[in-house]
Amino acid sequence: MDKLLLQLAIAISFGGLLLDPTIAQNYAPYQPGGVLPPAERAERVEIVQGPALELAHDDLAIIRWTTNNPGGSDEHFTVIHYGTAPTNLSQTAKSHIRLNRDHAQTIFRVRVDGLKPQTTYYYMVTSMGSDGVSDGEQSAVKQFTTPRPGERTQSP
Amino acid sequence: MVHHFLQLLRRAEPSRSRAQIVQRSLATLALTCCAVLVATVGYPVRPAVPQSGQAGNPPAYNPYPPGILPSDLDAEIARVRAEMRTVFGRYLVQAQALPPLTYSNTQGVGNPPTIVGSGYEAMRILGGLLNYDQNISPLKNAACASCHMPYAGFSGPIPSVDLTIVAYPGTYHFRAAKRTAQRYTYAPQFPALHFNETLQAFIGGEFWDARATGYKLQSADAEQAQHPPVDPLEMGFPDTACIAWRISQAQYKSLFEQVWGADFDINWPGDAEQTCSTPGGNFPTATPIALSPNDRTKANDIYDHWGQSISALEHTDDVSPFSSKFDAFLAGKASLTPDEIAGYKLFDGKAACNTCHLDGRGSTQTPGTGSGSKSSTTTGIDTSAAASQAPSFTCFGYANEGLPLNPRIALFYENKPDALGFTPNPLGFGYRDLGLGTFLRSGFGSAPNPNAKWTSFAPKADGQMQTSTARNVAMTPKQCPTTEAPGPYFQKEFFHNGYIKSLKQLVHFYNTRDVYAYNVTSGHCPPGKTEKVDCWPMPEVPNNIDMTTGNLGLTDQEENQIVAFLQTLTDGFTTPYPNSDTYTGVCKTGGSASTQGNELLIPTPDPLPPCASSICGVAPLPSPNKIP
Repeated sequence: MDKLLLQLAIAISFGGLLLDPTIAQNYAPYQPGGVLPPAERAERVEIVQGPALELAHDDLAIIRWTTNNPGGSDEHFTVIHYGTAPTNLSQTAKSHIRLNRDHAQTIFRVRVDGLKPQTTYYYMVTSMGSDGVSDGEQSAVKQFTTPRPGERTQSP
Repeated sequence: MVHHFLQLLRRAEPSRSRAQIVQRSLATLALTCCAVLVATVGYPVRPAVPQSGQAGNPPAYNPYPPGILPSDLDAEIARVRAEMRTVFGRYLVQAQALPPLTYSNTQGVGNPPTIVGSGYEAMRILGGLLNYDQNISPLKNAACASCHMPYAGFSGPIPSVDLTIVAYPGTYHFRAAKRTAQRYTYAPQFPALHFNETLQAFIGGEFWDARATGYKLQSADAEQAQHPPVDPLEMGFPDTACIAWRISQAQYKSLFEQVWGADFDINWPGDAEQTCSTPGGNFPTATPIALSPNDRTKANDIYDHWGQSISALEHTDDVSPFSSKFDAFLAGKASLTPDEIAGYKLFDGKAACNTCHLDGRGSTQTPGTGSGSKSSTTTGIDTSAAASQAPSFTCFGYANEGLPLNPRIALFYENKPDALGFTPNPLGFGYRDLGLGTFLRSGFGSAPNPNAKWTSFAPKADGQMQTSTARNVAMTPKQCPTTEAPGPYFQKEFFHNGYIKSLKQLVHFYNTRDVYAYNVTSGHCPPGKTEKVDCWPMPEVPNNIDMTTGNLGLTDQEENQIVAFLQTLTDGFTTPYPNSDTYTGVCKTGGSASTQGNELLIPTPDPLPPCASSICGVAPLPSPNKIP
């Protein structure tokens, strides 16, 4: 029994040494970085700003919105469902972004290519992790109009 | 010690006698005269290689229109060659100072033999010798260091190349490839390439396109070092066995033998030197040197140990010493200036740089501290105090930052055969650099993908390039203390295609790529707009663009502060950076960092030939957008 207690004491002492935050600070910067496991997912993801048009060319649009940080996989995708009628958002585009896991909020931006000039598009946005699972938020249906051929517009 | 090394050198004499070599050389020469194909080259015998070399310089390959090659290219290559000889000489002196290598006798103990005490030092010195040895190229005129000199953070050493053709000429002048030379520093930290199931993303590997996977040696870094010696656009050996052949004649052969236990007792064919003196690219086989299976195994082992030696060097303080001002700051031994601190906070916060260039600091942010509608993907202020992970300044991943096609890249012009019948790029301006996507398809200009399961991911990887560590991005020779005009500055090139010529431009690109996006190619910005200032041409690859960046909302001052922070990541602050004192070139002065190099912008062909089918027509096809 004494031997068992001794082993336990050694294990605890050694473990304590490994977990000493001072030591971790001294040595962590000089070790190769690994890929961290996914962050904890937010209980609820809400859009706190937007979505809004950031930039439009005659064939391209960028839409932006802000949510609380959804967590989960650092690799994320922004998703836009769009179409030329508010009741038919049959087309989808996705863009890649990377979460900064310790940031409180995340700004999502999505590119939509292959648009027609001088056309009004209706859209709804959401986001998802790299596993394809939605973050759960979804915007209302909004709209933008592409400029004439060769022109570009930008939000203020 | 010198005496000991001389003994080693004497023991290093090739097992074959000099007379045998001469005999075989004469036979080879006779055969060469009869061989019409090879005789077309007509090499003069070079006095620098008296023992067995019949090689000379083939006629210069110059398919370039006037103004594409920099006018000082010959002189600059000569300068770098002289600098490499200096560093090689230093390692040779260090080798001579090595104590006798002694192996532990571990019989009965259960440990493998170890070079006691001096094993690490021997490995470092061997790596240094190999890195700067110009004999590791057919024409004995190029080494790894030709594209990776210490004073440039082990990236490209010729300012005029950085300003123009982007890629460096290899052994055969002026064949050149298509991308910038990546820095060696901290490269060994990249793991072997793997697909991370959780992230659904590729992690690790080396080269911009991940083609050095590490699948065989389980070291992406060691496998990276294996590519350039047999890349016809770089050092250019026609056969991996040429590494063993040339090392078998090197001054440091015995050190290689002692470190690795390598067996150089190979029955070389009589034409080994002739073959190894001929730049590759147009041989009918990848193994033109006829070796028995046993000898091929020995040569392969030496080739593997070549890569491992270079990687070992890159792991040492000669290359990756963690001696930057930022490291000293983390250790509490240096203070950052107010601008550097501001840049550091922006790097973590508003600019979100550390989202991919992980700096090991938690970025705990105060919500709502962004800059409104113009804020970055992630906003706030870093209030954390402790390192949460290693500050490698990379996530080891891949991203498509949407760089425009750079029409100055040498490869676009190499669509005619050279004197050896090799055409580097039959596609001309039909070439597109899909980076990781092309590698996953085992496509043109990359390397075979060793994992068939990965091929289906290619459309999601098109345009993606490796996220380099930000460390040493600003390293320059001491006499040219910055990368930024007006200087005095050392001209560098940034990103995979060298389109960006200063750190100011680099940060401005991340900041405004989508703000000043125009549907034009480089050289065709609208009147009244200045390229790289308020006009960014369209991406070369429009798929998979990283939207974490592109509209960060940084002010001009904030951009400059991030540049100031990046400059704290340069090694050599706490201790001198080894061999960074060798630059003998000149510094540039004048101009502005914002428009640095703009005077050499040239118009992209208009219309641009479509992406060649041998790139964009390879399944699985790029999607959702067609590559223009």
